[in-house]
Amino acid sequence: MGWVTEWAPTKVELDACIDCGLCLPVCPTFQLTGDEAASPRGRLTAMRAVDEGIMVVDERFGEIMDFCLQCRACEVVCPSMVPFGRAMEGAKAEVVAQLPDARRAFKRSVFGRALRVRGLVTMASWMAAGAQRTGIAPRLPGLLGRIAGLRPIPIPVPSTRGRTWDPDGIPKGTIALFSGCVMDPWFSEVHVAVIQLLRTAGFRVVAPEKQTCCGALAAHEGAAYDAADMVERNVQAFEGFDTVVVDAAGCSAHLKAHAGGDGASLAARVVDATELVASLIAEGSLPTIDVDRGPVAIQDPCHLRHAQRIVDEPRAILRAAGYQPVEIDTHGMCCGAAGAYQLSHPETSDELGRRKADQVRTTGAKIVASANPGCEMQLRTHLDATVRVAHPVELYWEAVSEARVIAGN
Amino acid sequence: MARAVDELTALLGDDRVRDHPLDQHLFAKDAGLRRGGAPIVVFPESSDEVAAVVKIAGAHGMPIVARGAGTGLAGGAVPQEGSLLVVLTRMNRIFEIDEVGRTAWVGPGVVNLDLSEATADRGLHFAPDPSSQSACTIGGNVATNAGGPHCLAEGSTVAHILGVELVTADGSTVILGGEAPDTPGYDLRGVIVGSEGTLGIVTKVLVRLTENHLDAATLLMAFDTIEDAARTVSEVIAAGVVPAALEMMDKPMCVAVENFVQAGYPTDAAAVLLADVLGHPAGTAASIELLSDIAVRNGATSVRVATDESERALLWKGRKSAFGAIAQAAPDYYLNDTVVPRTRIAEVISKTYEIAERYDITLMNVFHAGDGNLHPLVSFDAAEPGMTERVVAAAREMVTVAVAAGGTLSGEHGIGFEKRDLMSSVFSPEDLDAQARLREAFDQDGVLNPGKVLPEGSRCFDWGPA
Ligand SMILES: Cc1cc2nc3c(=O)[nH]c(=O)nc-3n(C[C@H](O)[C@H](O)[C@H](O)COP(=O)(O)OP(=O)(O)OC[C@H]3O[C@@H](n4cnc5c(N)ncnc54)[C@H](O)[C@@H]3O)c2cc1C
Ligand code: SF4
Ligand code: SF4
Repeated sequence: MGWVTEWAPTKVELDACIDCGLCLPVCPTFQLTGDEAASPRGRLTAMRAVDEGIMVVDERFGEIMDFCLQCRACEVVCPSMVPFGRAMEGAKAEVVAQLPDARRAFKRSVFGRALRVRGLVTMASWMAAGAQRTGIAPRLPGLLGRIAGLRPIPIPVPSTRGRTWDPDGIPKGTIALFSGCVMDPWFSEVHVAVIQLLRTAGFRVVAPEKQTCCGALAAHEGAAYDAADMVERNVQAFEGFDTVVVDAAGCSAHLKAHAGGDGASLAARVVDATELVASLIAEGSLPTIDVDRGPVAIQDPCHLRHAQRIVDEPRAILRAAGYQPVEIDTHGMCCGAAGAYQLSHPETSDELGRRKADQVRTTGAKIVASANPGCEMQLRTHLDATVRVAHPVELYWEAVSEARVIAGN
Repeated sequence: MARAVDELTALLGDDRVRDHPLDQHLFAKDAGLRRGGAPIVVFPESSDEVAAVVKIAGAHGMPIVARGAGTGLAGGAVPQEGSLLVVLTRMNRIFEIDEVGRTAWVGPGVVNLDLSEATADRGLHFAPDPSSQSACTIGGNVATNAGGPHCLAEGSTVAHILGVELVTADGSTVILGGEAPDTPGYDLRGVIVGSEGTLGIVTKVLVRLTENHLDAATLLMAFDTIEDAARTVSEVIAAGVVPAALEMMDKPMCVAVENFVQAGYPTDAAAVLLADVLGHPAGTAASIELLSDIAVRNGATSVRVATDESERALLWKGRKSAFGAIAQAAPDYYLNDTVVPRTRIAEVISKTYEIAERYDITLMNVFHAGDGNLHPLVSFDAAEPGMTERVVAAAREMVTVAVAAGGTLSGEHGIGFEKRDLMSSVFSPEDLDAQARLREAFDQDGVLNPGKVLPEGSRCFDWGPA
């Protein structure tokens, strides 16, 4: 039957693959299984078989696509620069369209619909905050159990949307803050750090009211139409802002890839918080602090390192805070969080999470820095409470404010 | 067939036996051009499991094909319809490393580069370094006698394999070779290396490890003509300095590589040579000087010496990305692999360009110049009607030219299916018969990787089972 949606992998995308197999060793699912069907090359071959009409989108095709973490490690080593992430989102959209089943429908309703309804996210956050305070969180099943990896959620549940923060003097310019869906209530300290640092550097920060979830999770789950709607809403919400800072790597990667291609598009105006802060440090608008704060293990979120090729910036930020960044793995293997992957493939997700946690423990560092909320939760779930998990920008802001207090005294 | 699947499933479980048409499709091809028929795919995890699946296949009359990572370029791991495809990637344990004796017993599924990384802290590595080393398996290296840039000084895979454990066609397990420098009896280990899965399935490998070098330098030399570069190669070897690697790339290849990785290769030179010198600091300094002198004497227009690790790595990245760079040019590529005497490199290359022009195909050259192992690369689009046929025909002519110049069919990628029918151009009927008899001695019924390596009718007196 071939493809049925406008999102389907294209012939050009698929033909770029020359079957060389160089992507196999960096693929987490291939590493775990040694199985061609769990490799980037195998997945592309399966897509090509459908494209050529040799195979159909059946349950096995769905399984093969669903097993992919969409970490995009394969893109980095591919000599032929196959746009794997894009092709895989297309394949997932086809799976959802052609193989309706309850599990996928549920994920679509959560990631395609609920996340953009602010009321629902707030309500869920209140419930999670309650669960955290009663101590039942670690014993909850499935998605709910994940809240064990959350930071304590403040009550009342915070939000940045619709607010503006001014710097002390005359603003150098205005930067828009992308609030995100769960970032806003669940990772508010990261937003605070970004806002305060931008104020310190002399910028006004505005979080437009009408923005919504970026749509990355929806796109990864094949809810391509919902994802496109969300991107469209964000394009409108951020009209007129020259710079839009995003402090969750999954969201910045998604907006850069999907919110248009031309120079004026939202995609071109999005920067990840690590890029922005690192450049402000480099140009001297933010300070370099000369205190030895000890080692910090670095976990590179896939959507920062593989999708955006941002590697040096988080390290530079930590160095400017006085930390010594410690590498945990040369290839940047996925931690297994991978958005909603934990729900469908708990065993694989846990195995990768354990491996990542072991790598962190081996360094002996008591802090691990990660620039993405999904990875942060995964790390916290697999590490014990003696290791702190934080966003690099957040660690830097702490160092900056501490230095200020000392200077003030 | 259904019976065989049931028995295999009873042995390995659901997850390690595949016969869904989509899985079969994914396993019907390697990194080469040809797609085979649908196999039953199994993932054994131990030598005993390999022996057991081979017995089941035997009982059902199924051909047996071994597969590592599927990076082979000659179609060696491509199954025919109804074969049992034995995938060895899960047998990827390093069993023991003998640091003093510099050997290791490893599973066939261990990835080439992983082995070198695992032994790095002991100052050792596995010397064969095919460009696919980050992905290909030791089992695949053994089966194809893989080579790489650094095999010029160190020798190809065969020089680094001391012994193998082999599951034979009837499902018995034997160990050939061993740690002793000269094991008594026939050197059957040597026969297995390069046998491309036709003599048995390699289930364990005793590899020789090589000491990491204290000092290293890389030279990039540019020339105005391929002849100048080729003469430099001959003179370097004649001078008795065998660099650890000596690679040549022609102008179209340099341009493609620069576009792709920006390694600082000149894009206006007709050819560049890339040489690696390894050893003790005093020795490397002398070698660098000697190499530079010879290059300049033969008309080198520039010589760049890289001694720090990151610059060396960048230059080598350029060389190792050659296949990728060509992939940018068109959706498909065909990689030739022949060996010619060093003195005739320039002549053979200019003939390959004539052939490419005649067939109207895009050609670039990158190769192991030190040992005359040529890799003409053709980039093309298989979707263009008649294109694949044209490329294959041109490739055959290129092989013929190499053979006519006193060369041979395959430097390192193996014969597989791709070059099977060309075997008779380098071997007499008697030679082929001798090879066919050897194969028969291991595999009377011809169940192991049938249709590969030897052309049909290799056996002069075909009285045995076909
Ligand atoms: C980009 C690229 C660059 C390459 N560069 C080089 C190079 O520089 N030098 C070089 O020599 N090759 C090169 N190759 C070819 C290929 O990588 C080698 O032939 C490699 O040794 C194949 O290993 P594999 O694990 O992928 O084997 P496969 O492709 O899976 O199999 C290759 C052959 O070995 C047999 N085989 C595999 N495992 C076993 C086993 N355990 N027992 C018995 N038979 C077995 C198969 O039946 C088949 O005939 C390159 C390939 C690519 C795609
Ligand atoms: S995106 Fe990640 S899991 Fe998926 S094929 Fe690529 S490397 Fe493998
Ligand atoms: S590395 Fe790229 S071209 Fe090679 S098999 Fe993987 S996806 Fe295809």
